[in-house]
Amino acid sequence: MQRRMTWKEFLFILPLLLLVLIFSLYPILSSFVYTLFDYQTNNQTKNALYTGATLNASLYAEDCEYLAHYLKKDLATAEAADQPTLTALMETLVAQKELYANSKQTLSLSAASEQEISALIEQIRDTVTSLAARYPDFRVVTKGPQLLNEMETCLVSSNYVGLANYARLTADTRFGQAVGNTFEFTVISVAVELVLGMALALIMNKAMRGIGLVRTTALIPWAIPTAVSALIWCYLYDGTSGVVAALFTRLGLIASPELLLTTQGGTMFSAILADVWKTTPYMALLLLAGLQVIDRGLYESSAIDGAGAVRTFTSITLPLLKPSMLVALLFRTLDAFRVYDLIAVLTKGTPETLSIYAYKMMIGQSNYGYGSVIVVAMFVLVALIAFVYVKVLGAELIRE
Amino acid sequence: MKKLLSILLALGLALSVTCAMAEPVTIKFAAQADSTPATQAVIDAFNASQDQYKVEWVDMTNDSGAMREQLTTSLKAGSAEYDVLSLDVVWAGEFAASGYIQPLDMMIEDAGLNVADFNAGSMASGLYNGKEYVLPFFPDLGLLYFRKDIVSEEDAAKLVAGTYTWDDLLTMAEKYAGQGGTTTGIVFQSSLYEGLICNANEFTSNWTDIKGGLETMKKFTSSKAVPSNILNYTEGETANSFIKGESVFARNWPYQWGAIKSDGTITTDQVAVAPLPGGSTVGGWLLAINKNSVNPEGAFAFIQYLNSEEGQLIMSEKGGYLPGLNKMLTDERITKADERLSMVGFQNALKTTIARPVSAEYSKVSDALQQAIYPYLSGSSDIDATVTAVEAALAQ
Repeated sequence: MQRRMTWKEFLFILPLLLLVLIFSLYPILSSFVYTLFDYQTNNQTKNALYTGATLNASLYAEDCEYLAHYLKKDLATAEAADQPTLTALMETLVAQKELYANSKQTLSLSAASEQEISALIEQIRDTVTSLAARYPDFRVVTKGPQLLNEMETCLVSSNYVGLANYARLTADTRFGQAVGNTFEFTVISVAVELVLGMALALIMNKAMRGIGLVRTTALIPWAIPTAVSALIWCYLYDGTSGVVAALFTRLGLIASPELLLTTQGGTMFSAILADVWKTTPYMALLLLAGLQVIDRGLYESSAIDGAGAVRTFTSITLPLLKPSMLVALLFRTLDAFRVYDLIAVLTKGTPETLSIYAYKMMIGQSNYGYGSVIVVAMFVLVALIAFVYVKVLGAELIRE
Repeated sequence: MKKLLSILLALGLALSVTCAMAEPVTIKFAAQADSTPATQAVIDAFNASQDQYKVEWVDMTNDSGAMREQLTTSLKAGSAEYDVLSLDVVWAGEFAASGYIQPLDMMIEDAGLNVADFNAGSMASGLYNGKEYVLPFFPDLGLLYFRKDIVSEEDAAKLVAGTYTWDDLLTMAEKYAGQGGTTTGIVFQSSLYEGLICNANEFTSNWTDIKGGLETMKKFTSSKAVPSNILNYTEGETANSFIKGESVFARNWPYQWGAIKSDGTITTDQVAVAPLPGGSTVGGWLLAINKNSVNPEGAFAFIQYLNSEEGQLIMSEKGGYLPGLNKMLTDERITKADERLSMVGFQNALKTTIARPVSAEYSKVSDALQQAIYPYLSGSSDIDATVTAVEAALAQ
């Protein structure tokens, strides 16, 4: 029976809990919140999470200043009868500018001041329209309508869209394509890495001369930063001077050398090969750790019982290696699923995986609302993968 | 005690004033690395011309897409890290709509400048909701460079006059490839990036003949007259191939002329330029001021200097950049130094400029077009699906 934690003990772990809250839960929660808004940083009516009426004060003040400035120029040539109305309007605009020029970038608006501002915009629009016929050259007439339209966009309404972004995801074929690409990359690369990594681990586990050197060399690819290894492979795959591309063409694997980096199938193959080269050592390292904790005595007794190499492998090594394999596969699958840097450097974004698509949406197109939905979808898929692994491979582990 | 304090205060103030006089205000200028000495020269000249401001050049990556991301990340956070921004013409609308840059009308007026005196295409791309947000850095346009020492006189005349079609060009490229030490016929930009859109814009005659234009483009990319990895070509590979004398024809921007002069194994005597059959895509760079800049006056002073006769002369002489100030296009000091402006082919190209699709969400349109066209060129999508996708992207 476990003893309940006293509040003093709880105080000791409190700082850690707070750190977890701030650094992992907060970002996750805020991306969930983003998905509920039409949040686009390149549009001033959508560049934050607006829940109620808001005024884009700096832009509003700027527009007031522009209109007042143009009115002042135009006043010089206006007829005497129009002077008082135009002067009054100009003074209102200057007052509005003074009022909002030094306030915050955006202000929450009460219903009353929202109406006041839209009434003012309407009033100016009427004046401008009435001037248009008589003074077609006035700058308030030529530039005014556009400025007034912009002023209207300064009154920002809520950009909360509920689940609309998720609805868009279900109809997005590019997203479906990205999911397909991501799974294809993950399944093939992890499967190949598991087989090769196992072979490498079995070799590295042998006690023989020079094994230290073998282990060190095997780890080199993994020690190179991904961006650098992607660049190396980029040179190797290059259509005019790439060694690998030339070799594959000579062997008849591909029709011509430039296909590796230009076609959909070619880039997928190139990315998988580069990933396998880089992460097989990591897989081998994780499996080697598992191999080393297997009791030597088991191998000796199986040898006495007359078991061959294959039987020993399937009956002793594999079952006892299962926990390490689960960990290695889980790590690698989740890693491969999030692949970004390798593809971004190697081909600037083909094949388009989920991370690449999310990056293009958020950073390339400044659409954080929809981009976050893609990220959340990735989060769900990753959780599913982890669940399946633990369920299928790790059932006994949990029971123990 | 009070007296002592006030003396100290006065001393402190005096000291800070002298410090301020001794140390000019720093203006940070975000621009890509310049393969010519022009940008540095114009900055040095500005710094020497007055002692109030000191411009510092912040080197940006030469990958335009990456630079745009770097800038937007900084500007989105409200950073005042950069004061003067150099912007690709297609970004200005989006940056203005996002509220990242400030309108310059008041400053232009106060400085006694007139918008109509500057390159119309550049100024139009910085006009948003009736406000002007930019002045030109340098305008740009797509050109066909060709080796006049290889191409026959008859063909050269046709090229310069612009009385040829894309098919004629391909025939010529196939015919001349391999002659005069070249290894390939023609090079242009068709990697998966913005350059692909500039080239597709020209092949499709500003998207008026999408199907025919893209089919021609594919005919080019799958021809024997282009390098086998043409689908990885950007401006860098193009210029490299042409200035080393490896290709007969190259589609590139005006800067390539300067590159031939400074790094070429061929000389400009062997080269001529021509307009492109579908028109020349307008490009180039603009200057704008960060909305959060703490020194907008200093930033504008620098921009104004760059657009003065003095600044334009330096940019033209040291780097071969086209003047953005219209009257300098016919200024003798520039036409004498910049032989391109006296070339018929170049003047013809200036007359047939076409713009890329205009949109406040240009990056989205461009991305959709790239995703539609590239798979077609690389053979994983057919023409009908591609045309539908391109039309959908343009309708956005």
